[in-house]
Amino acid sequence: MAATLCGRLFPKQGWLPLTQSVRHGSKAVTRHKKPMHILKQKLMAVTQYIPPKPPIPRGAYPPKIITVKEETGLMLILKKQVKTVFQDCKMIAVIQNNSINSEDMLTLKRRLHKHGITIKFIPNEVMRSFLQNGIYYNLLPLFIGHTVLMVSKEPKAKELLLSLKGSPQMVLLGACVENTLLSAEGLLSYSRLPSVSVVQGELVSGLTMLTSRTAALLQRHPAHLSALLQQYVRQQSPEAGGEQEAPKVEETV
Amino acid sequence: MAAVKHSLVVLKTVKKIVVQFCPFESNAKSTREFLVMVGSERARSTNMNCVVTTLVKHNKSEPLVDITYVDGDRLLMNSAKLTCSEMFKAFHSRCEAKDPHAKVKK
Repeated sequence: MAATLCGRLFPKQGWLPLTQSVRHGSKAVTRHKKPMHILKQKLMAVTQYIPPKPPIPRGAYPPKIITVKEETGLMLILKKQVKTVFQDCKMIAVIQNNSINSEDMLTLKRRLHKHGITIKFIPNEVMRSFLQNGIYYNLLPLFIGHTVLMVSKEPKAKELLLSLKGSPQMVLLGACVENTLLSAEGLLSYSRLPSVSVVQGELVSGLTMLTSRTAALLQRHPAHLSALLQQYVRQQSPEAGGEQEAPKVEETV
Repeated sequence: MAAVKHSLVVLKTVKKIVVQFCPFESNAKSTREFLVMVGSERARSTNMNCVVTTLVKHNKSEPLVDITYVDGDRLLMNSAKLTCSEMFKAFHSRCEAKDPHAKVKK
């Protein structure tokens, strides 16, 4: 076989190739596996590796040594970012993303940017490791699947909800507004609340209602006040007044 | 496994899907996975008239999947103790039964 090959390899006189590959021990077509010689088969069968059986089957007991994965550098950087986000931003909303279109995503981003809300994409692993050792651990069950964080410095719940109405694939799961955890319904009712000054005004007016009434009474003519007090005394003692009246009637009679 | 499922979701016989769950509960994981599968672009492209609605509750209620078919049938799945693959099998078998001639786009 080598001889036939050699005949083909030197067609022209004085032309020697640099490398010669001589196939030895195999036929022309080597696509199918060569059947092993019976002796080799026997040898392989006898010398087969039999792994030692473990005394306890795998998975029967929890592992004694708990391996803690070292956090990669990227994870640490992202963790720091998340920490700053939680410190700076007053409103953090967690939204599930059901495969939104890229165009819809862009329009949503633009709409939110007008109100100062930014969208953050953070891997679930980083979020979980950050939330486990903090005060926000109740947010842990939210981070399953494809989630997206929408954060803003000012708590603009109304604008967020209006923008999310336009994209049905983004599902609001929960939010953390000013260190208070809110559900989706909670955020909705939060958005419907009037502003702080209005609420304060209502509270103050409710508390001072009684005192303002007495002040108004005293400012009027004193005859009015005395008439009111007399009426009050009459109402207070109806029985005593009835007993007094009965003997008076007898006297007259 | 998920990649195989995504290509098999055909919503041609489905009119409406309502998925309800409490995200703060631990039993909502399979429901959320099912929602992702059904709400994916590929699934939505098989039937543009099918509406997928999500209700996010916070009252410790059980997660629920309510599917209304075109011919009026309803499939209710209490998915607190079901896995995503089980839910998908049940849903897919019924879809196939309704419309065996529907070809799957691959």
